[in-house]
Amino acid sequence: MSAVVSPIRKPLITGNKTYHQITEDLISPTEKTPTKAWIIGFIIAVAVATYGIFCIIWTIWVGIGSWNLNRTINWSWDITNFVWWIGIGHAGTLISAILLLFRQKWRTGVNRAAEAMTIFAVICAGLFPIIHMGRVWLAFFIMPYPNTRGPLWPNFNSPLLWDVFAISTYFTVSLLFWYTGLVPDFATVRDRAKGLRRKIYNTLSFGWTGSAKHWQRWESLSLILAGIATPLVLSVHTIVSFDFATSVIPGWHTTIFPPYFVAGAIFSGFAMVLTLMIITRKLLKLEDYITIEHIESMNKVILLTGTIVGVAYLTELFISWYSGYVYEQFAFFNRALGPYWWSYFGMMFCNVVSPQFFWKKSWRRNVTLTFFLSIVVNIGMWFERFVIIATTLARDYIPSSWSLYSPSWVEIGIYVGTMGIFFTLYLIFVRVAPVVAVAEIKHILKTGGNQYVGENAKSHTHHTNEH
Amino acid sequence: MSQYKMTASTRNVLFGAIGLGLVCMVLTWFGDDGNHSRFWSNFLHNSLFFTMIAAMGLFFNAAGITAYAGWYTTFKRLWEAYSMFIGIGLIFLVILGLGNYFGWHHLYHWANKADVETDTILKGKSSFLNNNWYLFGTIIFGGLWAFLAYRMRQLSLTEDNHGDSSFKYHKAQRVYAAATLPVIGFTSAAMLWLWLMSIDAHWYSTLFAWYSTVSAFVAMIAITILMIIFLKFNGYLSVVNSNHLHDLGKYLFAFSIFWTYLWFSQFMLIWYANIGEETIYFKERYNNYPALFFINIGLNFLVPFFALMRNDVKRKIGSLVFVSVLMLFGHWLDYFLMIKPGVLITAQHAAHGHEAATEGAAHGVEHASNFVAGFTMPGLLELGTFIGFLGLFAYFSLWILSKAPLVPKQDPYLEESIHHHVI
Repeated sequence: MSAVVSPIRKPLITGNKTYHQITEDLISPTEKTPTKAWIIGFIIAVAVATYGIFCIIWTIWVGIGSWNLNRTINWSWDITNFVWWIGIGHAGTLISAILLLFRQKWRTGVNRAAEAMTIFAVICAGLFPIIHMGRVWLAFFIMPYPNTRGPLWPNFNSPLLWDVFAISTYFTVSLLFWYTGLVPDFATVRDRAKGLRRKIYNTLSFGWTGSAKHWQRWESLSLILAGIATPLVLSVHTIVSFDFATSVIPGWHTTIFPPYFVAGAIFSGFAMVLTLMIITRKLLKLEDYITIEHIESMNKVILLTGTIVGVAYLTELFISWYSGYVYEQFAFFNRALGPYWWSYFGMMFCNVVSPQFFWKKSWRRNVTLTFFLSIVVNIGMWFERFVIIATTLARDYIPSSWSLYSPSWVEIGIYVGTMGIFFTLYLIFVRVAPVVAVAEIKHILKTGGNQYVGENAKSHTHHTNEH
Repeated sequence: MSQYKMTASTRNVLFGAIGLGLVCMVLTWFGDDGNHSRFWSNFLHNSLFFTMIAAMGLFFNAAGITAYAGWYTTFKRLWEAYSMFIGIGLIFLVILGLGNYFGWHHLYHWANKADVETDTILKGKSSFLNNNWYLFGTIIFGGLWAFLAYRMRQLSLTEDNHGDSSFKYHKAQRVYAAATLPVIGFTSAAMLWLWLMSIDAHWYSTLFAWYSTVSAFVAMIAITILMIIFLKFNGYLSVVNSNHLHDLGKYLFAFSIFWTYLWFSQFMLIWYANIGEETIYFKERYNNYPALFFINIGLNFLVPFFALMRNDVKRKIGSLVFVSVLMLFGHWLDYFLMIKPGVLITAQHAAHGHEAATEGAAHGVEHASNFVAGFTMPGLLELGTFIGFLGLFAYFSLWILSKAPLVPKQDPYLEESIHHHVI
């Protein structure tokens, strides 16, 4: 990488940090006793998660009949939530793999938390299809292995089965990527720890010594995993979109779905990263590492992906008219002006209109506004999936089977419960691991620290890039 | 050497290419069917292909400026030069737009008033698929692209002479760059529906605009690699080194795979759902153009995928030239396959309509399953026309390049780009 830094680049680490201070700032949150805010948050998260688990058990005990699905609307909140969570997971992989390939140094401030978020989001997502099977104890039927059930194999032509492979691969690679990054940082935690804690972190860091050989292997592994993860960013949500697009249902079957789902997923993922990081940077006092520049960059990604999604919405809408295919035309007429019109307008407003605020520089750099809009975007992306799934199903080919849907308390409980699970896992994560990648931050100090670049730098050009 | 000067031999070669193209076009015209379908479809094919390459040059430069990209500054003048070709391409497309009014060509089925009256589907689309939208859409949206390209280049040139450490010209470019992204993002889709997708007037695909855009993008990267290597061989652009080529090679690799992804998404979903209104597009190509159908996906995916996978290949001039030439030609073929089958059907239809009046006008386009020169496979005349347009594009780009220093001065990223180092 170039050691010469353009004079118009802004520093990515502020506060004249030394290598030691970086270690102090980023490792110490795992060493202190939890703050009151953390304890309260954790209790709430666990309580909500418990309620969600209760609702899941209720579903399994009573059956899918405890949900308000019916013959017409046989997918609704369950699959909406599934796609929503999967989408949220996308930012982690994008930041760790694609932004790495694009040499975007600001990724180092947020990649660790985003990758953790990916894993937790995929866990939440994976729950829904499994519960939806009804007889969860037969879930292993989806695994294609030479079986004792006679010639009974899953349907390999079904995108639902492709999902099983796509998501489990995605989860595995994301986990490996995240953990690979954690190994040197766990070693840093270990070096400062004593007693049992030291033993635990030593095991977690696989006895990392920081030798040149370790670093060299670590870098090779990271590059290979980035290479594998990059097509995964595209493949996972592409295959999720196939769940709909391979059908012949107007409003579901459209060729733009694969790339548009991917863009939407990155969009919602970045919104969730922003929601989490704005709280985390405040509570853990990480403003020097997750700076306004980071927030601004992420807001630009939100603006970009939100607008791509907007192009896709308008394309779909236009082509439905252009196709001259009455069922297609009706599907979109129904979305915009049918009984669920509010969800279509909610989607359009939250996903396409609200990010446009970020054209203005001072608003991109406004933390309060960003926090608010990041939540708006996540609501919008939930609406998008609801529009696609429930609104489309509610009006099928036969008007006599038209129906409406509202969720039962069990469905709401499970959805809210997954948020509890998500935040429980995230809160545990911030206690046991550095939220910002220590080694990677140190790696960019000489090209991103404010004593080296930007207004307060001692000189503007020709730093040597020593590590 | 910081100022490019076209040598007489370069000029002669490029004029020779343009001359060859003109000769081929004239020959095509005289050996053509009654409606000159082969001539006009070749004209549309090449005009559109190179206009889209120019637009992608603008788009990528704008994206780079917006994303604080510092690696490509040493050769950014190339993309600025390509983007100026939008103006030339638009002249050609306006000729095609005027052709719709005056019946010069029968490329678009929807332009045939009599057929639209009796065709429910085409009638339903006629508020978009009509002569006015085609011509004024081209002029207004295309004009907007040309304007943005012109402004961005002007600011970049002003920066050379008047730029200082406040980088105010760069900041002004940022505004235009940010505006360019949504302008091209939204309008290119609409224009590609008109220019390209509406050739198969009944057919529709929501992904089509992105697919054809990415095809042009890959071709643009290929031309960029070839142009840099040409300039380096002539002693220019010494600051552009194998690190920059490596990154361009990565773009060629990555976006070839992205193109394949979009190709697959479009094809697979249409194949899987098996809805007649949609499958007609691929059925026509699969049944009557099987060789091109497989060459397209094979060439544009397998070649870059296997050839460019290794790191060292992306730093070798010979291999890069080889793959870039193939990719430029491969995506030209992709556009060929998007355009020709639909044009042929419309031509056959028009010819049969004329048959009652002028016997024999339909020679050569009687049966779709038969070999039709210039349609089933690109013939020598198509290749000659392609070389002509390529010569024009190269001549024009080099002419623009000769008007300003090849390596920009005062660009805030110049030092970063000069010291660019991969791995």
